Amino acid sequence: MYGYVRPGNSQPAWLFPFIILVVIVLSVLPMARLAVTGVSALANGGAMAVLSDPALWSATYYTLVTAVFGTMISLIIGCAFAFLLTLTDIRGKGLLSFLFVLPMMIPPQVTALAWVQMSGPSSPLLKALHIAPPLGTPQPLYSVGGIALLYGVQHAPLVYLALRASLMALPRDGVEAARLSGASSLRVFRDIILPLSLPGIIAGAAISFVSCTGNFGIPAILGIPASIYTLPTLIFTKFSAFTSRTFGDVALLSAIIAIISVAGLAIQDRALRGRDYRVLGLSGATATFELGYWRLLFTPILWVTLFFMLAAPFFALLAGALVPAYGVPLTFKTMTFNAFSEILFRQAVTRTAFFNSLSLSAGTAVCLLGVTLLTAYTLTRRKDLLGRIVASVIEIPYSLPGIVVAVSFILVFAAPIPIIHVTLYGTVWIILIAYLSSFFAVSLKPVVSAFHQLDPALEEAARLAGAGFFRRLKDIIVPLIAPAAGASVILVFLIACNELTISALLWSAGTQTLGVAIYNLDDSGSSDLASALSVLVVLMVVFMMLLLELLAKRLPKGVVPWRN
Amino acid sequence: MKTIVSAAALLAASLFAIPASAENLVLYTSQPNEDAQATVDGFMAANPDIKVDWVRDGTPKIMAKLQAEIEAGNPVADVLLIADTVTLERLKEAGKLMAYKSPEAANYDASLFDADGYYYSTKLITTGIIYNTSATLKPTSWKDLTKPEAKGLVTMPSPLTSGAALIHAQTLAGVDGLGWDFYKDLAGNGATAAGGNGAILKAVASGEKAYGVIVDYMPIREKAKGAPVEFVFPAEGVSAVTEPVGILSTAKNAEAAKKFVDYVLSEKGQEGFLKLGYIPARNGMKVPEGFPARDTIKVLPINAATALKSTDADLKTFSGIYGSN
Repeated sequence: MYGYVRPGNSQPAWLFPFIILVVIVLSVLPMARLAVTGVSALANGGAMAVLSDPALWSATYYTLVTAVFGTMISLIIGCAFAFLLTLTDIRGKGLLSFLFVLPMMIPPQVTALAWVQMSGPSSPLLKALHIAPPLGTPQPLYSVGGIALLYGVQHAPLVYLALRASLMALPRDGVEAARLSGASSLRVFRDIILPLSLPGIIAGAAISFVSCTGNFGIPAILGIPASIYTLPTLIFTKFSAFTSRTFGDVALLSAIIAIISVAGLAIQDRALRGRDYRVLGLSGATATFELGYWRLLFTPILWVTLFFMLAAPFFALLAGALVPAYGVPLTFKTMTFNAFSEILFRQAVTRTAFFNSLSLSAGTAVCLLGVTLLTAYTLTRRKDLLGRIVASVIEIPYSLPGIVVAVSFILVFAAPIPIIHVTLYGTVWIILIAYLSSFFAVSLKPVVSAFHQLDPALEEAARLAGAGFFRRLKDIIVPLIAPAAGASVILVFLIACNELTISALLWSAGTQTLGVAIYNLDDSGSSDLASALSVLVVLMVVFMMLLLELLAKRLPKGVVPWRN
Repeated sequence: MKTIVSAAALLAASLFAIPASAENLVLYTSQPNEDAQATVDGFMAANPDIKVDWVRDGTPKIMAKLQAEIEAGNPVADVLLIADTVTLERLKEAGKLMAYKSPEAANYDASLFDADGYYYSTKLITTGIIYNTSATLKPTSWKDLTKPEAKGLVTMPSPLTSGAALIHAQTLAGVDGLGWDFYKDLAGNGATAAGGNGAILKAVASGEKAYGVIVDYMPIREKAKGAPVEFVFPAEGVSAVTEPVGILSTAKNAEAAKKFVDYVLSEKGQEGFLKLGYIPARNGMKVPEGFPARDTIKVLPINAATALKSTDADLKTFSGIYGSN
């Protein structure tokens, strides 16, 4: 093995340079290209035209307002569920938790479509129940409030998961000490649990805010009909009216979204600084409150909330897929499965979309697995500055909204690649590369945490016994990392399957994803077809989550996000 | 472990097996999804050796997509089937279209295709008024939409999204007694303009709005399915687009594209459109059910050359009245 291995280091010499190369292609290059286009647009005066455009400022305003209110709503719902499901003896926790996380996994445009079908004079569901509002009533969801409400529903699970993680780590002895000193449950909650769980709440709020800022599916369906544009939908419309200035304009708009996201994260950092909460004692053991008679109040509240978040929109979606034409009330006489048969058996685009989404997600998950295995291996063994820089550069595309990633990859690949003269724009490969970049961090996290738990002595022993790098990888590392790697694959697969923001800008003939197909069907007025396809996608998501649930017993703790 | 690796290999293999769209004929169209699929199915049944990939969006949006691809040096489309001849005329002048003399042209009125063979009209799509059957006022003319009964209840497609809507605005703008003032009156009456024709159908069928400006086939077809809508050919007349077909000069599958043009112009292709509820452009064809006889429909004239020149200005005028959507 001499010659391949640097003295004093167990890694092959090519490993770190390889990882640096991957990170440059997936993170550094697109972000640098975006910055260059933005700066040159600023320099040659085009920026003034963009910055003085009232559309930009109204979009910035709407982005901020909807994101702030959306975050508040997600905080209220998410915190309520997290406290009740983690700290109390409420019944059916497993099922409640599974159902509550579901909205996060459903594509946002499907959520929006379902809620639109549920409310307003158009609702097939309300018409079937004879409680639809009168003619000329505007759809109440086509408004800033509607967008914020759906942001709240979509992102409440993010708050829930973040807060839950920090509640799980609460020290039991603090609570017990307070109890022994005679503190009431309310007092314990207010003086001990609330302050200690604040970092979790703040982290949840920050994730929710950043996700709201970058959301495309919800404002596209709810905002565009009411001429309410957020920055991501404004970028999308700019692309729809392509001119020679478009690239410079969208680079600037993307930069503004990036700044808002970074500002959100910076506020989080700021809020968390100065609060050094290190807890001693038994962490991981959750403190339990007995609800007593309160259970009779809280249990129905949770189930009713879930009914309005999940069941009602789903049935509205189903009703929208079963009516023969828009505006016809659903009865047993009018009910038809035409939309489903059209989607399943006639529309070639559905097959294309299922094929593209499934193979893109599988390809992304598998390619990333190979890369993250090597990256996690290197990063956990390198403690120098360069290693830390690489680790944080990998995080950048993930923390930026998908639309920014899409724009930067268009800028990189719009022109043919030099030397080999291949154009990636308009092919499926540009979507794959953008997915790889955007979901790298998602894939890396579980694998890195598995590596941290791995005793390096095992691998050292194998090395001393003369095993080469690949032999050690195959016989020692991969078998030990496998459960975490499996979870990483499933998570990336689920997220990539439901993705719309990136593919909305990058798709072309034959490369439509499921998200794009649903959006385009709705946009062309075929809302019955869009609803039918959405119903199928929701069923697919539930099926995959159930699969993960079944696998959960074999996986390490914390890998399946909604499980204890 | 072995199974995981082989499963991974299988997935990777399936990914690389994605058919390159370069081999298939690529159609960019503004027809709604179901109609586009039906057209493509009919074509593929007649030409089993050719596979078609198609993309659907409003005419201005599909043109933007094409423009972005041309800018990137990789136009994907081979053949266009979009709303209006004005757009294709502009492409022809920019040298982006390929001339092809279709043998089917003999069956068409000379005003319906380009003499050099750059594009051919395939059908007649008029724009009139849709109303929800529970609306109080039953409109019979464009002017009715400016009446107080219709206040806040009118919606129309945006010319930035729909090619037919642009031609419609340009047509009405040139009519005495209507003109841009009519659009200003509509805006003053609380009318909104956003999205494409599909969105108008949804808004009126659902009752969010009572009246809409829309292409003919959508409401007539939906009415037949039981939707609570009615379509009116207004007294002043209707505007019309002809949904022309044309081949791009950069087409990678020019032969297949020519066959596509022949097919949509052929009797069989035209019958397909008829079945979908469109008025075919070919001589001697019937009109679909629910339509009045073709010679009773009063089509308002439009000067294509002027329309082409004034498009940018007209879009600005429209945006000025209805905001920047």
